[in-house]
Amino acid sequence: MKDLIQNIYSNDLHFVTSIIFAILIFASTLFFIMGKIKPHVDFGELKSRTKSWWVMASIFIAATLLNTTITYVSLGFLSFLAFRELYSLLDFRNSDRRAIFWALVAIPIQYYLAYIQWYGAFIIFIPVVMFLILPVRLVLKGETEGIIKSMSNLQWSLMLTVFGLSHMAYLISLPDVDGFQSGGRGLLLFLVFLTEINDVLQFTWGKLLGRKKIIPKVSPNKTWMGFIGGLCSTVLIGYGLAFLTPLSTPQVLLVSFMIALSGFLGDVVMSAVKRDIGVKDTGSAIPGHGGILDRIDSLSYSAPVFFHIVYYMAY
Amino acid sequence: MKTLLKIIYSIILRNFLKLIVGVKMDKTDFLKDEDQFIIVANHNSHLDTMSIMASLPSSIVHKVKPVAAKDHFGKTRLSTFLSEKLINSLLIERKRDKENPSNDPICQMIAELDKGNSLIIFPEGTRGKPEVEEPLKAGIAIILQQRPNIKFVPAYMQGMGLAMPKGDSLIIPHSSRLEYGKAQLAKSTQIDAILNQIQENFDQLKQKMEIGESQEKLLLG
Repeated sequence: MKDLIQNIYSNDLHFVTSIIFAILIFASTLFFIMGKIKPHVDFGELKSRTKSWWVMASIFIAATLLNTTITYVSLGFLSFLAFRELYSLLDFRNSDRRAIFWALVAIPIQYYLAYIQWYGAFIIFIPVVMFLILPVRLVLKGETEGIIKSMSNLQWSLMLTVFGLSHMAYLISLPDVDGFQSGGRGLLLFLVFLTEINDVLQFTWGKLLGRKKIIPKVSPNKTWMGFIGGLCSTVLIGYGLAFLTPLSTPQVLLVSFMIALSGFLGDVVMSAVKRDIGVKDTGSAIPGHGGILDRIDSLSYSAPVFFHIVYYMAY
Repeated sequence: MKTLLKIIYSIILRNFLKLIVGVKMDKTDFLKDEDQFIIVANHNSHLDTMSIMASLPSSIVHKVKPVAAKDHFGKTRLSTFLSEKLINSLLIERKRDKENPSNDPICQMIAELDKGNSLIIFPEGTRGKPEVEEPLKAGIAIILQQRPNIKFVPAYMQGMGLAMPKGDSLIIPHSSRLEYGKAQLAKSTQIDAILNQIQENFDQLKQKMEIGESQEKLLLG
């Protein structure tokens, strides 16, 4: 037992992992007690959300800490699930099937490029190579009616769910920095923890104090107090977790601020898309949360933003 | 053979369909309580049969036979062998042959039921255009009329015609759903009434899927 505690304190990653589970235990206990005190209030959704957080946190931590190859495969699979969810909603034509197939083939390639740390190819593969190839595949099929919509939808889906998210995988490939023990895994944990806690905090602050809506037409649940409260608390938490990154204090504050902001923007962009399609959730894969995309919409924005700021400042 | 079918459907195909293709399968535990049944489903794709078989409790997979057209799945000896042994299907002719019972589709299906097996029947008779319903054919009603003690189980699927439409052997994963209705007896012995009962069940299941969506739409407001 003593050894275990020693180990947890000496290893930053294990320390943060314990914090995550402590938060989950706190949340589960809180909703359990609240349910007993106020039996007439329905905590069903909050409870099922928390339950899903347990599952997601466990899978994520296991996939991140166990083994590098497992991390890449799991993140690639996450991209696949999100991409499939998105194009299933977007009403593609039957003649787009071959192009979608090539877009699916791009997923393992993009993650492989991150795996072998070929930065130049990683950064142009989807925005340039696939951007040029996919329309050609559509054109070869010869069906021109609605082709612009297919070209744009396919490329945008690929950018959001594969290009954006694959930056999480490249974080692990980043070379070691002197005097910094957590490495890319620390950065990945920092990014994901901050993005998700920002979602939760914006939701909580919004419920507690929120009144004035930011963009009622797109997302009626987003309020100024929720946004600002979430932003400030996320920056504070980011400051507290600075030991996971090789950054200086002002840099950590900036990065945390950018994660909170871009996470919010990703969420809002996805809300607008869902509104256009006419669905509340992108799916029902995660009880209490909706689909995979509902959970990782903020990550698809915050991951590339965080990656490029860190890459510029520390590497 | 029993173990082989279990491995194919309950392990390999179930995981492939759920994880890769993205089929959301309804629970099927209630089928364990039925000795024998006929699953009656709409038909859009080869994935339909696969999904229904993969969704069944593994203990009864070997007793359930999907009914398939001989002209399509029994073209060669090899394809006949594969369809019968690996897919566990019952191959039938599309046209009735009243003079020769061993070649008559209705007689063949009833003989299979009398052996104690269950069937999967697609009364639309063809996969047709992706995600478009075709009128139901009478065969299923004739069987239920002649074997009024056997229950039928309606099943409705959406999305699989987009994952693997007719005329294309490439599977493109697409979020799909498989829903089951209640196991029930035919309420009448009239062919038309039985077909109506099946159609009503299909409509209800379809509505259930759509209401799920529109309720979510209302919540948006």
